[in-house]
Amino acid sequence: MKYVAVTACPTGIAHTYMAAEALQIAAKDLNVDMKVETRGSVGAENELTAEDIKQADSVIIAADTNVPMERFDGKKVIVVSVKDAIKDAKGLIERANNAAVQKSDLSDQVSAIKSAKKSEQKGIYKHLMTGVSFMIPFVVAGGILIAISFAFGIEAFKEEGTIAAALMTIGGGNAFALMVPILAGYIAFSIADRPGLVPGMVGGMLAASIGAGFLGGIIAGFLAGYVIVGLKSIIKLPKTLAGLMPVLILPVLSTLIVGLAMIYIIGAPVTAINVGLNNWLKGMSGTNSVILGLILGGMMALDMGGPVNKAAYAFAAGSLVAGQTSPVMAAVMAAGMVPPLGIALATTLAKNKFTIEEHEAGKAAYALGISFITEGAIPFAAADPARVIPSIMLGSAITGALSMLFGCGLAVPHGGLFVLFIPNAVANLPMYLISIVVGTVITAFTLMTLKKTI
Amino acid sequence: MIKTLLTEDLYIEHLKASDKKEAILEMIDKLEQSGKLVDRALYTEAVFNRESEFSTGIGMGIAIPHGKSSGVKTPSLVFARSKEGVDFDSMDEKPSFLFFLVAVPEESGDEHLKILSTISRKLMHEDVRKSLMQASSYEAVIEILN
Repeated sequence: MKYVAVTACPTGIAHTYMAAEALQIAAKDLNVDMKVETRGSVGAENELTAEDIKQADSVIIAADTNVPMERFDGKKVIVVSVKDAIKDAKGLIERANNAAVQKSDLSDQVSAIKSAKKSEQKGIYKHLMTGVSFMIPFVVAGGILIAISFAFGIEAFKEEGTIAAALMTIGGGNAFALMVPILAGYIAFSIADRPGLVPGMVGGMLAASIGAGFLGGIIAGFLAGYVIVGLKSIIKLPKTLAGLMPVLILPVLSTLIVGLAMIYIIGAPVTAINVGLNNWLKGMSGTNSVILGLILGGMMALDMGGPVNKAAYAFAAGSLVAGQTSPVMAAVMAAGMVPPLGIALATTLAKNKFTIEEHEAGKAAYALGISFITEGAIPFAAADPARVIPSIMLGSAITGALSMLFGCGLAVPHGGLFVLFIPNAVANLPMYLISIVVGTVITAFTLMTLKKTI
Repeated sequence: MIKTLLTEDLYIEHLKASDKKEAILEMIDKLEQSGKLVDRALYTEAVFNRESEFSTGIGMGIAIPHGKSSGVKTPSLVFARSKEGVDFDSMDEKPSFLFFLVAVPEESGDEHLKILSTISRKLMHEDVRKSLMQASSYEAVIEILN
């Protein structure tokens, strides 16, 4: 018999380790295999690998704090307090043999995959994604409030004193105005921790006010982060003055350096690029815009929430301007909804080509699809990438292209099907829906053709 | 290694206390006298808060109360022995004879935490517990825990 266990306690100093040792002693006495992961104040040690878990007959969780559980899906799992392992480790091992099998649903699996991806992120990409993930709630809050303002009529906000005008001020004038500063601030935060926030946010604010937009914000964020790192390694103060570093020296110097750099060096060229990019997007029409939709759509499906998907998404969110609908945003959101929807449709139509678990997961995938959570496709893609990924890329690319072709537009950065009910949030709503349906059907039928009967 | 945590002035040959609260406070006195605390009240609160989650009396005659708090200056360990035994609400409902009081600052190096985790692991072994019960000097205790 082979067992794996996780121990954890409130302070993570003593009981975590006593429980681990008790389990190991008991395993030795019973002559069984036991690997114990300890999650104490030093962090996780002796971590269980996917291979360990796969080989284990049963899993023992002796913990009084939260332990990530998704990885034990399909295993016999017993969950007890840490003191139970100290008190009677042998009895616990015996009880583990008869434990119930843990099952989690698709949404749990999706969130597990998301957090696993997050911990894999490294370096520059990690910093960028930290910034983007802090920014997205601002984009969503602002975008949705702007969309609600449109519900009173597309130009209702122009009349002062109305609720539409108030909503536009909240969403467009303020929440959106914080997007670039937050992006830049948290890129710097990711690099340099707390001292990064000040130069990052001020740099981001400058990027926004001189018209350097997202591109300028990203540069400001990285600059701020590395300026702090640099200053910290250069400036060495005697211990008595060290307290001045975080409150006086770092914020003032770093903000000065980043601010001057933004205004005199980085500002002009980046603003020019940003303006050029926006004009290019605006001027794009016909074949070019369809090709852009095709590419962005395919990117959304390629890694379902990974870096390529996020790059396409960030590009689209950057094209949003308060008070207008963006064709790029429309194409990207539609394409992002297609993978889970198409797979879900395939599980409904071709019951003989999917396992019972996949049928169940398919139902949840509908919900994730209409909510624009592309990651809902991942469990299917992970199980059969060669058939699933081409199918969803094809459907998403076509949806993206169609959305562009029909001149659809979207004023909000997120929300899936639910924002379509807000009047005026979507330009050319009927054709937008058709674009999504066509891609979904194409994905479903491609997948059904490629999949073998089981 | 362990000598840096459990210094000689933190060794209590005979604990006077007769109940749980007194026992903890008597050991905290030692920490304070030895200058290991910056804020006694803060640390004391952390220890009792931890105790209220569930008793650190792990049974087998041993209790290992502990607190992680910004009231602690340097990571330390108090060792105490009680002749009569103290009711520590232990898991096996028997009195405790050996006490380890752990004090860790909010920001503590992994090195110290690793030593503490090693000690915790050792206490699970019956032969270690037996020799600790019999040890009669600071040096002997250090020898066993090292």
